[in-house]
Amino acid sequence: MITVERLSKRFADLQTGGFTALDGVSFNVQPGEIFGLLGPNGAGKTTCLRILSTVLRPTSGTAFVAGYDVAQHPAEVRARIGFMSNNTGIYDRMTAWEMVEYFGRLYGIPEAALQERIGHLFDRLQMNNIRDVLGSKMSTGMKQKVSIARTIVHDPPVLIFDEPTSGLDVLVARNVVDEIKSLREQGKCIIYSTHIMREVEKLCHRIAIIYRGQILAIGSREDLAEQYKQPDMEELFFQLIDEHEEALKATAAR
Amino acid sequence: MSWRNVKLIFMREVLDQLRDRRTLFMVAVLPILLYPLMGIGMFQMTAIFSEQPRTVVILGADNLPDLPLLDDDHFARTWFRISTDADKLRVISDGAETAPSADPAVNEARTKVLEQAKQMRELLKRRVDAETELEAAQAAKRPVDEVLALEAKVHQLIEPLSQRFHASGIQVLIIVPPEFKQNLLHLRDELGRRGADDKVLAPIDYPRPLIVQNSADEKSVIAHSRVTEVMREWERSLLRKYLRESGLPEHLPTPINPTPIDLAAANQVSANVWSKLFPSLLVIMALTGAFYPAVDLGAGEKERGTMETLLICPATRTEIVLGKFLTVLMFSASTALLNLSSLGFTGKYMASLASGGGAASKFGDLSLPPFSSLIWILVMLVPLASLFSALCLAFATFARSSKEGQYYLTPLLMVTMGLTVFCSSPAVDIEPFYSVIPVMGPALLLKGLLKATGPDMTLYMYAIPVLLTSIGYSLLALWWAIDQFGREEVLFREAERFDLRLWVKHLLRDKEPTPSFTEAGFCFLLILMLQFLSMKSMQMAMQVATPDEQGILQIRLLLIQQIALIATPALMMGVMLTTSMRKTFSLRWPGFGRLGWAIMLPFALHPLVVELQASLQWFFPKPPPGLVEALKMMSSDALPLWLVILAFAAAPAICEEIAFRGFMLSGFSRTGKISLAVTLSSLAFGIIHMIPQQVFNASLLGIILGMMCIRSRSLLPGIAFHFVNNVLAILHGRMGETMPDTGIWSWLFRHGDGMLRYQPALLCLAALAAIALLHRLTRHPRIQSTENVTANADSTLRVLGAS
Repeated sequence: MITVERLSKRFADLQTGGFTALDGVSFNVQPGEIFGLLGPNGAGKTTCLRILSTVLRPTSGTAFVAGYDVAQHPAEVRARIGFMSNNTGIYDRMTAWEMVEYFGRLYGIPEAALQERIGHLFDRLQMNNIRDVLGSKMSTGMKQKVSIARTIVHDPPVLIFDEPTSGLDVLVARNVVDEIKSLREQGKCIIYSTHIMREVEKLCHRIAIIYRGQILAIGSREDLAEQYKQPDMEELFFQLIDEHEEALKATAAR
Repeated sequence: MSWRNVKLIFMREVLDQLRDRRTLFMVAVLPILLYPLMGIGMFQMTAIFSEQPRTVVILGADNLPDLPLLDDDHFARTWFRISTDADKLRVISDGAETAPSADPAVNEARTKVLEQAKQMRELLKRRVDAETELEAAQAAKRPVDEVLALEAKVHQLIEPLSQRFHASGIQVLIIVPPEFKQNLLHLRDELGRRGADDKVLAPIDYPRPLIVQNSADEKSVIAHSRVTEVMREWERSLLRKYLRESGLPEHLPTPINPTPIDLAAANQVSANVWSKLFPSLLVIMALTGAFYPAVDLGAGEKERGTMETLLICPATRTEIVLGKFLTVLMFSASTALLNLSSLGFTGKYMASLASGGGAASKFGDLSLPPFSSLIWILVMLVPLASLFSALCLAFATFARSSKEGQYYLTPLLMVTMGLTVFCSSPAVDIEPFYSVIPVMGPALLLKGLLKATGPDMTLYMYAIPVLLTSIGYSLLALWWAIDQFGREEVLFREAERFDLRLWVKHLLRDKEPTPSFTEAGFCFLLILMLQFLSMKSMQMAMQVATPDEQGILQIRLLLIQQIALIATPALMMGVMLTTSMRKTFSLRWPGFGRLGWAIMLPFALHPLVVELQASLQWFFPKPPPGLVEALKMMSSDALPLWLVILAFAAAPAICEEIAFRGFMLSGFSRTGKISLAVTLSSLAFGIIHMIPQQVFNASLLGIILGMMCIRSRSLLPGIAFHFVNNVLAILHGRMGETMPDTGIWSWLFRHGDGMLRYQPALLCLAALAAIALLHRLTRHPRIQSTENVTANADSTLRVLGAS
């Protein structure tokens, strides 16, 4: 469903001249699988997911989502993905229902089907009490629910979550995680980025550890533990980063 | 593109804006309330505002002639055009007839003022005496120190006088000399006696009254102008009286005295008022009405984080921008219309209230413009509002935050205000050149259409270019907005710390072979600024020069300007900011072929350019006289030809090419868009020429020069072309007159408009040759040396890196 080949992204930067946010990243994700992108802040997770959601264009490399090249057919890709991050905002001056309805219409869902779908979503996410609440009056938890509803209103086969729980309290975060689990059970292809180990351990089938724009290790939890002889996820993470830093230092010294 | 999506986005944005109290207030409530409130305020102001009477003191009032100038403590009302104005001047005179007031305090104050006035009269007298003494001393060539002492004495007398006058509270002081009445009567008697025998009247001289005022004091100036008006009226009456008494016709001093007839009907007066107010208000309100919603829809959306949400929905960027644009357009248009109608109705109502009297009554009943004019307002509003909406949206998309967005309003507003102020000047009417200028075209056309005299057919003819160009500009601005929206560095601009020191360091440290886009833009602004600043000193130099020197001085100034103000900034920036002078200034041998073609091309283009210029003369405003002089110089034989060629051809060819095709073009081409780079560099080249017609010519030539430089990757063909082109223009001016135009030559040349013109046959040949040469000069190079391949690869990498 998602195939990423040697994806790179460079940004121009005034002070350093240029900045490589993503450096030859390759991976693929199957339907019914949650693929975790684990990395510290600034590792390139958001850049990678923004490229997958066609908001950014890759500098080099290719990425196929649901069979379409993100650079060549962005519209086709956008119609088949749901993207949610903690900074995909909610319109202040729109109610929950209007917000989901608006995006549903933009996805071109026929009106009758759309109303039914939104009704269903509002039931499932227990949002009927905030149906007519304006975005500006919502709590963070409510906003996150609206965001989820907006993400899946068109029932996309591919879902991209960029740190969806960051900044949320445990209760809301748990709701979000549960919702993502249930989406996996529906056979969706899910890519999930976070810097929180526990979420990765609980949710993801396969994990890629990303640091400074490069994937340091990739595989299932068990594979990684075996390969690096380190059962503890957190320890493994630090170990990989330390190794990478040392390798970098060594090349710089040479 | 799906219009359904555009409509969806439009509907949402409108709903969003309507739910925003601030926008609603700005767009709807403010205009509806503002004008009536301002009207009420104006009424109250006029009611409570009464002008303080100013004090006029007359000394020697008893010496005034019999025709009564004064009426108690005022000037007589007869002498005022508006009789109530008499109350605005309080007169204190030392005349015996003035009845003492019942209030002793008033009497005391009066005595005090009169006392001060008398002291001043004394001072004045001393000053006059001192001045006479000084003049006498100067005339008699007395010793220098004596003259200096007298000068000092005069100066000493001036200052206390002005201080005293300021402190006295007197605004105007009139001093009537003694015997004045008798002198005038004598004049009258002489006049009467002259009627009897035919002898020529000997000039009669006698001391005249003095009027003292202080032109640095606003109150004194106003009082003075009123007093002079009164005195003039009074003087005329006096003269008429004397003439009558001398048996001469009364109207002798005014033999012409035409009768004015005002044909303006009331509705025309009001149409005139509207034609002044409506266009500027329409422009300003269309801009402000567009601005606030645009900032909210662009920068505000980024700030609230909803931009990303919108970008990942299936709507394309174009659809999103169009939806937003239509929303902004709607708010811009409704703000403008609401403001206009609110102003219109308030004005009409106010005028009807004021029709009883007062200042506003001169507007007549201020009937609203006819229906056809209202339709024109709507027609002009659409392109105006679209232009502003698209511009504002582009700015707002570029801005990181609403706050940054607000900052862009000021420059936008200033430019627009400047244009509207220019348009509202009564001397400016629409003409071909103005009709294609953004904002000015619609504003001037609307002004003409609303005017009292009623539009004529020529005005309707202007509607076509005005509308076409306005729509063109709007589309350009919209394209820019869409382009902004498609650029990820604009959409995801994060607030970065700006540190001047770091930035300069970065500029000098991370130099690249060729300048960046911004550096090229800066180079242009620098050159423009230098030109602007040097204008004054060059003008001064020209003014002090004698006519004989002017020619050579002009040559010298032109050389300085080219070398110091155009080539030097570009070269300096090249040295400081780039690593490869060779690449920046395209210093490369282009091959004899290309150089040859570049030398031949001007011969083909020259006749075409001359004819194009001649045929477009009607379009441009007349060039300023200074330029005409300079051009005359170019063609006059007063200066040696080689010097003219050096200043008008060689220097520009080298200096301008270095700056515009060297530094700027290589900077602009860093965008990777060659056509954009060539357009920008040729526009910069045009703008530096200042005068509209020259701007047009230079921009056209700039495109050819730019393409030549890009394709040959060398500055030399451009320099050669530029040089030959200018030499031909000089020769055309100097020797064109001597070309034969008879016999076989008449197929090629003719003389017209004081210059050599070219016949169609020659023009066809020239056009064919020009096309062939241009084709050769601008085609892609066939063989690429290895060096160029790497250079190209480099630039591709850079382009990739930047995007």
